[in-house]
Amino acid sequence: MKIGGTAVSFAVKSPRTITWLMISSTLILALLAGLPSIWPEAFPFLTPLKVDTDPENMLPEDEPVRVFHNRMKREMALYDMVVLGVVNDANPDGVFNPESLARVYELTEFAKTLRWEDPANPGEFQGVIEADLIAPSTVENIEQAGPGTVKFEWLMESPPYTNEEARAIREKAARIPFLKDTLLSTNGKAVALYIPLTAKNLSYRISQELQKKIDGFEGDEKYFITGLPVAQDTFGVEMFKQMAIAAPAAMLIIFLLMLFFFRKIVLIISPLIVAMVSVIATMSILVITGQTIHIMSSMIPIFIMPIAVLDAVHILSEFFDRYQETKSRRETIYQVMNTLFKPMLYTSLTTSVGFASLALTPIPPVQIFGIYIAIGVMLAWIWTILFIPAFIMLIPSRAFDNFGALHDRREDREIALTVTKAKHRIRSNLSMTWLLAATGRVTFRHARTVLIVAAVGVVVAIFGINRIVINDNPTKWFSPSHPIREADRVLNKHFAGTYMAYLALTGPEENISVERFAETLSARLAARAARVRGELPGAGAVYAALQNEIGRQGKVTSSRELLEELTAFAEKNASDAGFDEMDSWDDALLFIGEEEQRGEIFKQPEVLAYIEGLQKHLLTTGVVGKSNSLTDIVKTVYRELISGEEKDFVIPETAAAVGQSLITYQNSHRPQDLWHFVTPDYRTTVLWIQLKSGDNTDMEKVLASVDGYIAQNPLPAGLEYRWFGLTYINVVWQQKMVAGMLQAFLGSFLIIFLMMTLLYRSALWGMLAMIPLTVTIGLIYGIIGLIGKDYDMPVAVLSSLSLGLAVDYAIHFLSRSRDLYQHYGSWGNAVAAVFGEPARAIARNVIVIGVGFLPLLLAPLVPYQTVGFFIAAILLTAGVATLMIIPALMTVLERLLFPKTKLCCLTCNCATCTVSSIALVAVVAINLRQFFNVGWTALSWWSLTSIVILILICFIMSRRDRCREKIQ
Amino acid sequence: MRNYLLSTIGYSLILAVFMPAGITEDTTDKPLDVNEIVNRTNQAAYYQGKDGRARVSMVITDSQGRERNRKFTILRRDEPDPADPGNDSYTGDQKSYVYFQRPADVNKMVFMVWKHSDQGTDDDRWLYLPALDLVKRIAGTEKRTSFVGSDFFYEDVTGRNINDDTHELVKTTDNYYVLKNTPKDSGSVEFRDYTIWVHKDTFLPVKIEYFDKNGEKYREYTALGVETIQGFPTVTKASMKNLKTGNETMMSYENVQYDIGLPDDIFTERYLRKPPRKYLR
Repeated sequence: MKIGGTAVSFAVKSPRTITWLMISSTLILALLAGLPSIWPEAFPFLTPLKVDTDPENMLPEDEPVRVFHNRMKREMALYDMVVLGVVNDANPDGVFNPESLARVYELTEFAKTLRWEDPANPGEFQGVIEADLIAPSTVENIEQAGPGTVKFEWLMESPPYTNEEARAIREKAARIPFLKDTLLSTNGKAVALYIPLTAKNLSYRISQELQKKIDGFEGDEKYFITGLPVAQDTFGVEMFKQMAIAAPAAMLIIFLLMLFFFRKIVLIISPLIVAMVSVIATMSILVITGQTIHIMSSMIPIFIMPIAVLDAVHILSEFFDRYQETKSRRETIYQVMNTLFKPMLYTSLTTSVGFASLALTPIPPVQIFGIYIAIGVMLAWIWTILFIPAFIMLIPSRAFDNFGALHDRREDREIALTVTKAKHRIRSNLSMTWLLAATGRVTFRHARTVLIVAAVGVVVAIFGINRIVINDNPTKWFSPSHPIREADRVLNKHFAGTYMAYLALTGPEENISVERFAETLSARLAARAARVRGELPGAGAVYAALQNEIGRQGKVTSSRELLEELTAFAEKNASDAGFDEMDSWDDALLFIGEEEQRGEIFKQPEVLAYIEGLQKHLLTTGVVGKSNSLTDIVKTVYRELISGEEKDFVIPETAAAVGQSLITYQNSHRPQDLWHFVTPDYRTTVLWIQLKSGDNTDMEKVLASVDGYIAQNPLPAGLEYRWFGLTYINVVWQQKMVAGMLQAFLGSFLIIFLMMTLLYRSALWGMLAMIPLTVTIGLIYGIIGLIGKDYDMPVAVLSSLSLGLAVDYAIHFLSRSRDLYQHYGSWGNAVAAVFGEPARAIARNVIVIGVGFLPLLLAPLVPYQTVGFFIAAILLTAGVATLMIIPALMTVLERLLFPKTKLCCLTCNCATCTVSSIALVAVVAINLRQFFNVGWTALSWWSLTSIVILILICFIMSRRDRCREKIQ
Repeated sequence: MRNYLLSTIGYSLILAVFMPAGITEDTTDKPLDVNEIVNRTNQAAYYQGKDGRARVSMVITDSQGRERNRKFTILRRDEPDPADPGNDSYTGDQKSYVYFQRPADVNKMVFMVWKHSDQGTDDDRWLYLPALDLVKRIAGTEKRTSFVGSDFFYEDVTGRNINDDTHELVKTTDNYYVLKNTPKDSGSVEFRDYTIWVHKDTFLPVKIEYFDKNGEKYREYTALGVETIQGFPTVTKASMKNLKTGNETMMSYENVQYDIGLPDDIFTERYLRKPPRKYLR
């Protein structure tokens, strides 16, 4: 309090200096952030505002799963796609009528033009990738055209003229497995265009352009635009609109509520100023330090605001209750600050710790979010203790004449008097006062009942927590009525699924040495020579020459190089050879060519058959609508080459037959399509898996199912499998976040417990302070489990918010209770006082901030709704838990909590010392695990050893002579 | 292979000797008529000699720098002029036989074309897949599809019918005639027009740029090497770039020979299963 006292008296003495200091520092920060954002050229040394709405960035850029995802996307030329669905329910032929198809065609042609020069890289284009666009007029049809004839053609080269032609297009497309339920729905009602983009963050712009074009169309068709990139990008755009509405709305409601409680506009402006200054300064620092505004960091203002207002509300509440006692601003402020300084410091510190603990999660945006809120909270604290007193001093004292409660808290009768005087004014305060007083009596008289009810609540909460489903789905971040959700529903009803996950199968690395390869090659060559010797008279000599040549290749470094050398050698000999030897050299060249293709795993029929089996299995999961693979392509081409009939929809028998089918497939308009499924070396293949929902639980189901299948049916040819795709990445960051959040939460829980123990010099008091918070979090997550709300990103983040806020009330309550207990000598006597003004401050806080965040419920974005609802719920629960459970426990544990004798110092309390030691070791262990990735086994041993040693020290310390001296 | 099918200067020299003086005069003194340039280019590009053969190696490089190889032998035989069998400048029907050697798993695969010069008559095309023991006719309507996965189209290999486009001489430089070619039926092709740079001496197309319907260049052919073989200037190396996919195909021609006396009957279905080994050497 010494430094605090100095600070407060400085604020009271020089209020103008403080005000100018605050305004100028905030302005400087805002300018440092704002100027480079508005004029980036003029301030090249400063970092401008950067916006990033890509949930992929929930994982660090070098995260292996992202590196792999990006590598595979590049290798397989897979792009993020906008999905545009066209549905016609009015026409009996669905979309397959000349008018609808003409519009689909026009839309496709329009989509092709949506590309422009990249402003960042002149000469490079960005936008729609025409070559990979999937639409009726851009995909290939392969079919029988009369006996013994195969035909390659555009599925819809130009819009059809007649209904028959339109229906024919539908029939053709339905025969191609790749197109069925992907390009068109089985009932023909819908067609989907898949529009690949050079970059995901263009999807909003592209979808807006498409929408404009669509708005110009007439007809029965309905159009739906979706796809994960659109959802993510649109979210980013809406997020900023939301920020502009939700944050000010929350501010307004808080203002109105404070006005209702304190009546003095000039006075209640001060907490709002503190909140605004804290938000502006924090966001400016965020920009200045080069961090991006992300989905997470966009929520920083919404989180800082209630916390910033919180302390100011405590001050104002106290000031309001006490002012009429002295009628002196200065005097009242000193009193108020003297009482509140320590609890405010601790509440701010604990809130900061709660958020700073998020820095321990492995998710960069969550780390940023936590760290900057921690900064914001401390800024808010500084300006609260400096500016609020300064502000009060700046208001002329006559403005306070009829301000505040006139009652004396020691004489409750006077409350009634006050009330009669200003009945209309503070009716709410009266009922609240009465309610709080009643609460106090209940917790004292029926302490055990209150505790039993709380215990039952906790049991129910535990039951609920066990039912929590961890799940997220970026599409569901939009409210159910949002066009994106509607598109999602309609398209996933018509098609096999708009959510893509990819399963990559890769052949093992060939790490065989050149020498070893040369040996085995010689052996195979000898075998070949023996086999062909009968048919080719010159083969013996030719193969011997080749054998000899292998032996002479000392300097080659790879098997590929060796084969190239042999090819050159054989080609030279072949061109010089006489007619007798020619055929043998040709055979030798063929042999070398075959050797070059030895690694082409995905031309092997048995490998393709394995993929076929896996695809069938995927359909049994119930969440996979369809999968596409190399096998499907091979089977389709083979069918059309042989007869076009269903019986020939099979994998050909030999690798050469597969190879020839595939080279035939490449005689199309889109030969590059093949390389979306397999690499040109035929050593990596990708299965496209279409899911009907982007729920992480669905993706997890697929993951588990594939793991199970592969465990039972081992992969052939030493293949390895690995997932990628946005739907999969979402699962990975969610899993990381859940685990990370849990550790971060445990860590900060223990730190706050240690802080509480230190603050109250007792582990028992420390635990008492943790109870409302524990119960609150238990109940909130229990309710989430019980009502079946998915545990998603905003819900996960809320745990740290509750950690910060719920403990605040406990600190205020405990600090004041302790003071009042000393004043009254017994808990029974103190209860009424505790439930007077301190309880009122807590209750006001709950109402002001809880209700202030309810406007978020009107937000069209679900994460904001979630945050709004749960902030209110957390505050209410924490308030109730603090006001009910703590006093009940104090009643029951009065003798333990308020011992008649006091120990001279903290270390003399063996129990407190021991408990603190265990908590300390646990904190260290969790952090070691997080930052240095130490294994749990090693950690457990070290921790156990340290705990034993620390307990011994505690034991010895508490047996010191000094500790025998009891202080009365 | 278009280039292999392209032809020669030696041949032009022969023409110069045997042709009536009036025509020669036209080519030297007066600016050439656009149809004359088109005809001679067509002739130089696809009809040199009575027949021809080349071993082709093709390297397809994608935008990631990954390479795929193809090796094949190509045989070509022009139908003689019905009016004057000895006239080698006739650009009528033509037969081609493409025999694949690499990759090894498509060894012995054959692609055969009977090109018909009459407008409105589709070419006849066959494919023989040895591993499936299958001879398949390919419906001839679509000629602008990839040739075995490369950036060349079938039509680039066999030659686009000159009557399908209208031609316009855009300019004449020191070395080139620059022709703009616009399709008569724009619905059947993916380009809006294409521009050819024809070398003035050899009448070989040295560069062709294709423009899509938005007027953007998306495809580019470049002749990278020309040798005179048996007196015929012959493109021995050429590339085709697809600017939309970033892929490029390079073709190199070896063992190019003209007028080897290919019999007509090897260009029949019977020879798909039994390749004429003698001529494929």
